Amino acid sequence: MSRTKFIFAGVLIVAAVVYLIVSNTGSTARYFLTIEELQAMGGRAVGRNLTVSGAVLGDTIVYDPGIPRLTFTIVHVPGDPKEVERAGGLAAVLHAAVNNPNAPRLEVVYNGVKPDLLKHESQAIIRGQLGEDGRFYADELLLKCPTRYREEVPEQAGGAP
Amino acid sequence: MLAEVGVAAVGLALATVLYATLAAGIAARRDDPRWAESARNGVLATAALLGFAVLLLVAAFLNDRFEVRYVAQHSSRSLPLYLKISALWAGQEGSLLLWSFLQALFAALALNHRLGGRTSPDFSPTAVRWAAVFLNLTTAFFAGVTLFLSNPFVQTAVVPADGAGLNPLLRHPGMVFHPPTLYLGYVGLAVPYAFAMAALITGEVEDWTRRVRRWTLAAWLFLGLGLLLGARWAYDVLGWGGYWAWDPVENAGLMPWLTATALLHGGAMQEERRGFRLWNVLLVAASFTLVLFGTFTTRSGMIQSVHAFARSDLGPYFIAAILLVLVGSLALIVHRRRLLTGPSEGAFLSREGMFTLALLLFTTFTVSVLVGTLLPTLTEALTGDRFEASPEWFDRVTAPQLAALLLILAFCALADRRLARLRGRSLRELWPGALGAVLVVGLAALAGFTDPLSLLGFFLIGMAAGTAIGEVARDVAARVRREEGPLQAFWALADRNRRKYGGYIVHLGILLLTVGLIGTRMYPLERDLTIVSREPVRVGRYTLVFEELRQDLLDDRLVTWAVVQAYQGDRYLVTLQPRLEQYITMEQTVTTPALRAGLREDLYIVLAGWTAEGTAATFTVYVNPLASFLWLGGLVFLAGGALAFWPPAPERLSVPQRRRRRVWNAVALTAGLLVLMAAGLAMWGPGHGAVVQSARRPIPGQAAPDFTLTLLDGSTFTLSGLRGQVVVVNFWASWCPPCEEETPDLQAVWEEYQGRGVAFVGIAYKDDEPMVRDFIARYGVTYLIGLDLTGDLAARYGLTGVPETFVVGPDGRVAAFYIGPVTAEQLRADLDGLLP
Repeated sequence: MSRTKFIFAGVLIVAAVVYLIVSNTGSTARYFLTIEELQAMGGRAVGRNLTVSGAVLGDTIVYDPGIPRLTFTIVHVPGDPKEVERAGGLAAVLHAAVNNPNAPRLEVVYNGVKPDLLKHESQAIIRGQLGEDGRFYADELLLKCPTRYREEVPEQAGGAP
Repeated sequence: MLAEVGVAAVGLALATVLYATLAAGIAARRDDPRWAESARNGVLATAALLGFAVLLLVAAFLNDRFEVRYVAQHSSRSLPLYLKISALWAGQEGSLLLWSFLQALFAALALNHRLGGRTSPDFSPTAVRWAAVFLNLTTAFFAGVTLFLSNPFVQTAVVPADGAGLNPLLRHPGMVFHPPTLYLGYVGLAVPYAFAMAALITGEVEDWTRRVRRWTLAAWLFLGLGLLLGARWAYDVLGWGGYWAWDPVENAGLMPWLTATALLHGGAMQEERRGFRLWNVLLVAASFTLVLFGTFTTRSGMIQSVHAFARSDLGPYFIAAILLVLVGSLALIVHRRRLLTGPSEGAFLSREGMFTLALLLFTTFTVSVLVGTLLPTLTEALTGDRFEASPEWFDRVTAPQLAALLLILAFCALADRRLARLRGRSLRELWPGALGAVLVVGLAALAGFTDPLSLLGFFLIGMAAGTAIGEVARDVAARVRREEGPLQAFWALADRNRRKYGGYIVHLGILLLTVGLIGTRMYPLERDLTIVSREPVRVGRYTLVFEELRQDLLDDRLVTWAVVQAYQGDRYLVTLQPRLEQYITMEQTVTTPALRAGLREDLYIVLAGWTAEGTAATFTVYVNPLASFLWLGGLVFLAGGALAFWPPAPERLSVPQRRRRRVWNAVALTAGLLVLMAAGLAMWGPGHGAVVQSARRPIPGQAAPDFTLTLLDGSTFTLSGLRGQVVVVNFWASWCPPCEEETPDLQAVWEEYQGRGVAFVGIAYKDDEPMVRDFIARYGVTYLIGLDLTGDLAARYGLTGVPETFVVGPDGRVAAFYIGPVTAEQLRADLDGLLP
């Protein structure tokens, strides 16, 4: 008697958790894309929760502290860690990306405070949605700089919701 | 020289620990105590050698030995002493060395009195020898990685004149304690794992959980404390308003803590009811594997993390170790499966039943976090697309599981006989829980937390708390009937049932923490604002007035801070000074938030930027409801854990045992108190950057604080003596350029209005008399001047800088105040308004 109850409760719990994981992966998980993949998706990408990463073009950074609003352009970098490694590490990949005029680019709009780490050749990981106008509207901005400091320190920029 | 000795010490330690592994293995196979004795010596030698290596590295830091690359990368001459010591674990190499040492130390502590003789106080000698094999292998792995792959003693070709310095973000008490505390937790979990596997080999699966209970408990407490300190550090230092982002590195610490929590509960059940054997060996294996997985995620760089971890080539070695542990443990468990299937669980609505469900939920919780952490890798393998779990994903997946655990907690607290009555459909036993639920929900709703989902959470919290408190109250009441005072009765009960009462307190801590989780995660408020100086802005229930921007150039950094007054309605609350420190040589900026912590909510302000003239600044303002409950719950949790850790009352022991116990108690008491104090200091002590609560400044309409001042001419000035007159109180200093700017205006207005019932008094703040005399001669000041040498007077007026000017009306109340230089027009307007 009690054995069946346990099995029933256990199956129920496991099923509920599996359901939670699967349904939330559909709704709140973010699609992780490179700029090239994003642009290949075209209109299908509009409005979905996305994460895009790219190299920051320093000249394009425009910041209006009054609103505050930030716009800048990022350049495609490969998403596969192995590919990055083959190309000589993240710093080399970022450097090559900003100097490649043919690499796909994406304009980013972020209504928020400009992080200090946002500078030329830093890696931006951007979460948000692609707008109808082809610009990317970011909710969250994470930045990484390949620096000589190697401590395990979280970056200050951006942040969690 | 020092570096070579360091390398030699680690190398020798690796040799001795490998020897000790071999010796322990031979001792176990041949049942030979001489080999066991030799293994014990090897274990002790390893701990000593690694301890020596750690000391050498500390010495290298203290003596600025920059020929050691690790020291040059993480320290500099100007670093204060305690940070030079903590720089030891600022990077990977030093962390791994410390880890190896702690592992060796824990192995020595766990094995010293058990290994060697023909007998052992609890486990059979063979089991102890096998445990020694596993523990030594773990130490050998970390010592080997330290020596060959991540050596902190590597020297630089060119010795730099000064080191690169410690990352500014790590210069915080939370960061000083957070890593070593986590390491203690990780390392501690190896002990129950080693003994569990040994027990599986020898077949002593009955009692292993009880015999290593205190190791499990200590490791679990340290892990919990480490997680709390990390959260508090993030909240204080990182300036994003939060404390937990579900980052892979954070998850890496959470997962073994969850499985260790489950293991503690399973262990308690194994002692009480002899069941749960399979659960417990699986949980201990999972905990240890997750520890390795945690180090792997933090060191390998293979998982995308916000923590900018160094990529290193340790990944494959850790994967190999993880696989070895996983496959080995599972093989052993399958091999011994007959020993592990104990008597079947009891009724569904019983303690066993509830514990089984709780263990299952802890497991699914851990698996959920693991799936979320690995989601990009998993989805890429399954579908070809990379999905990433957002914090929202984690919140939504884990919150229902946490709620289910709270529900179970409410039933678990009930004694068995009450559960039996519940099974008989008697709901009478539930009234304390119901009362608690109604109370907590009512309070929360009154405080404005009315979201139905959060009320469900508060309901469960109240129910669990009510049931536990009801249970304790009934126990106490039973004793009170036997003519004891209630407090005395409670104390006696807690003393006799330390584990049970420790458990109650831990649960209470978790409930408080959950209150904080609900508040901060369901009701957060975040605003980016650009505020023009002196224009009030409303955020939530607060009115913020940005007064001015100040800057200070220090040796290595430019510090900029904003002075922001916070009001609630018309009521002045606090002056907050969020800060931005730009480290010049390090090209790094540290934003230090300013925080007003309250029971209902925290007001948390970050300075983000400012205009060139400094007349407007951009802030990110967060209102975090119930955040204080997180830290409060954390401390309650630690206190309960410490009580549960406390050895049982010594009545039942022999005299030598009692004596030994006393020494051990004294040591444990000291260590426990030190850890608690350090935790308290790190979480609530000073050093939290711009968490400034300056004295309240009198605002218009409030009485101006009275004072008596000796003037330059030797006479005394008393503010209350001038009731009926308008008094202009000006705080200034001879060294302050804005004061030079305003002095001619003050003098001009004084000349215009003197004789009309007006007094002007200039108070030189922390100044020098000759400089003051020189200044007033230069500007021809004729109004009253006095000196506030100590700054006491300024403090009473809540001064945040000079100049500041208060206009006091004839009724002795403040009519107006000015931060920064005042102009003649402003003063004239005020005086004309006040004078008849």
